[in-house]
Amino acid sequence: MSEDSTLELRDLSVGYKEPLISKINKKILPGESIAILGPSGIGKTTLLRTIAGLIRPLSGEISHSYPKRGGIGYIPQRLGLIRHSSVRSNITIGARTRRSRWYPALFPLSRELKNDVDSAMKSLNIEDLADEPVRILSGGQQRRVAIARTLIQKPRIILADEFLGELDTENVKSIIAATKAVIKEIGATMIMVEHHEERAIAIADRIWRIKGNELIEDGDSNQ
Amino acid sequence: MGFTLLLLAWLSLDDLVEDWSQVESAPEKLEIFFTEDLWPPDWSVLEAEVWVDGSLHKPNGDICDESIELFCSKAWTGMVVTVKMAFISTIVGFIFAVPLASLAAGNMTPLPIAIPARVLLAGLRSLPSIIWALLFAIALGFGPLPGILAMTLYTIGYLGKLQYEAMEGISNAPLESAMAMGLNHSERLFHVVIPESSNELLSQLLFMFEYNVRHGTVLGLVGAGGIGMYIDNYINPPFDYDRAFALLIVVFVVVVVIDLISMFIRSFVTEEGDVKRPKWWTVLLPAGVAADYYKKLSKFKGKNRSPDESE
Repeated sequence: MSEDSTLELRDLSVGYKEPLISKINKKILPGESIAILGPSGIGKTTLLRTIAGLIRPLSGEISHSYPKRGGIGYIPQRLGLIRHSSVRSNITIGARTRRSRWYPALFPLSRELKNDVDSAMKSLNIEDLADEPVRILSGGQQRRVAIARTLIQKPRIILADEFLGELDTENVKSIIAATKAVIKEIGATMIMVEHHEERAIAIADRIWRIKGNELIEDGDSNQ
Repeated sequence: MGFTLLLLAWLSLDDLVEDWSQVESAPEKLEIFFTEDLWPPDWSVLEAEVWVDGSLHKPNGDICDESIELFCSKAWTGMVVTVKMAFISTIVGFIFAVPLASLAAGNMTPLPIAIPARVLLAGLRSLPSIIWALLFAIALGFGPLPGILAMTLYTIGYLGKLQYEAMEGISNAPLESAMAMGLNHSERLFHVVIPESSNELLSQLLFMFEYNVRHGTVLGLVGAGGIGMYIDNYINPPFDYDRAFALLIVVFVVVVVIDLISMFIRSFVTEEGDVKRPKWWTVLLPAGVAADYYKKLSKFKGKNRSPDESE
């Protein structure tokens, strides 16, 4: 992975009108995964949304050279799936970002697009649900769909907001394994907000904790 | 709060109405009008016109060569024209309303774009379709075309407003994911916003069709054709109110049928849309057989559910 994919947060302050977290100075190298821990309402989601480009920073700078189309994969807390569309349609949205905006419109039945979506569904064990509308799926199945939609983008960075939710241990284990495998394959960076410390340690290389309005980093969580 | 609003409404009404004594004789007047003029409805509007030589004719004077006489009647031919006018205006209006609504929706575009789009939509619907019809009738002459153009413009303004409000009502999460991914405006519209608000959009589209069918009857008053033209003829001298009443009942039946169709179509995108739904032909089955069919369906429904609680 090239040095281009480094993400740098310089003197970053995030929040709405008033800063929730101030003076963040961090450098994230390609392939690193980071978990953000902290109590509810402290600004974890706001930080993630600011990095995703959905909110303007109050001050400071976010620098990266991710492509505008498909460079960032964002899984919000509520997953952001289109409930009335099928699993396949939801995942195809992710696949669109790797092509020009006209490609799917000109070739809606493209075999290449279909094969991509099929293999993404297979890697997360949801190929049997391809034609089901998302609204009838269980929480675990919906999470797999959201992850497949993001992974098929092959983004440079994945921003995931409590994407494991309240799943049971078995589901968490298999989703973590699937996510890790694909992240390794595409060499993406991952920043996730997590409530459970054990889960965060299981996935992440680095742990950021938010205390007061400061961001403090632990040592390497694998040590 | 509710009581205060009601009291305010009552005080306003009392202020507007100067002579309450006119209400006293109202029931009696209505009864006379209903029993002498409206009732019974004159169902001859469901028949073809019989000329002096005994031949059957359509309202436009053509010979009736249909196997069923109803198809040559004023009610049928007028309703077919009205439904066609409503269909064209609704579809064309919808095609223009959706992109305009997406420009007016606050969660899809910044305010400098959303405000002009909203002003345009407000402008289109602030003139009632009857005024649009009048303008087009002056420009193009009488006939269905001015009616269609009038209803299309009104549909864009009215449907556009309903739709941008529906679009603003969708959950933010799918839209934010799509924005972070870098999808452009039209991709977000077609792949996120439209599927996510499909229930409301469909409901509004079907409501607009029904509205245009009902409104087509009013547009007849300015010579826009359709069933409204016949109603207009009957409520003017020599006052065939019983025939106008029969035509209004036909309009009512068509509106109810559209509502039933709307219910069926929307069932595909409502929360219960994933379960196997009863077929329309079950209404033709004997009650016992239909009950068995519904019982089987409800079992299927039970099996098909996979709630989140299972985790």
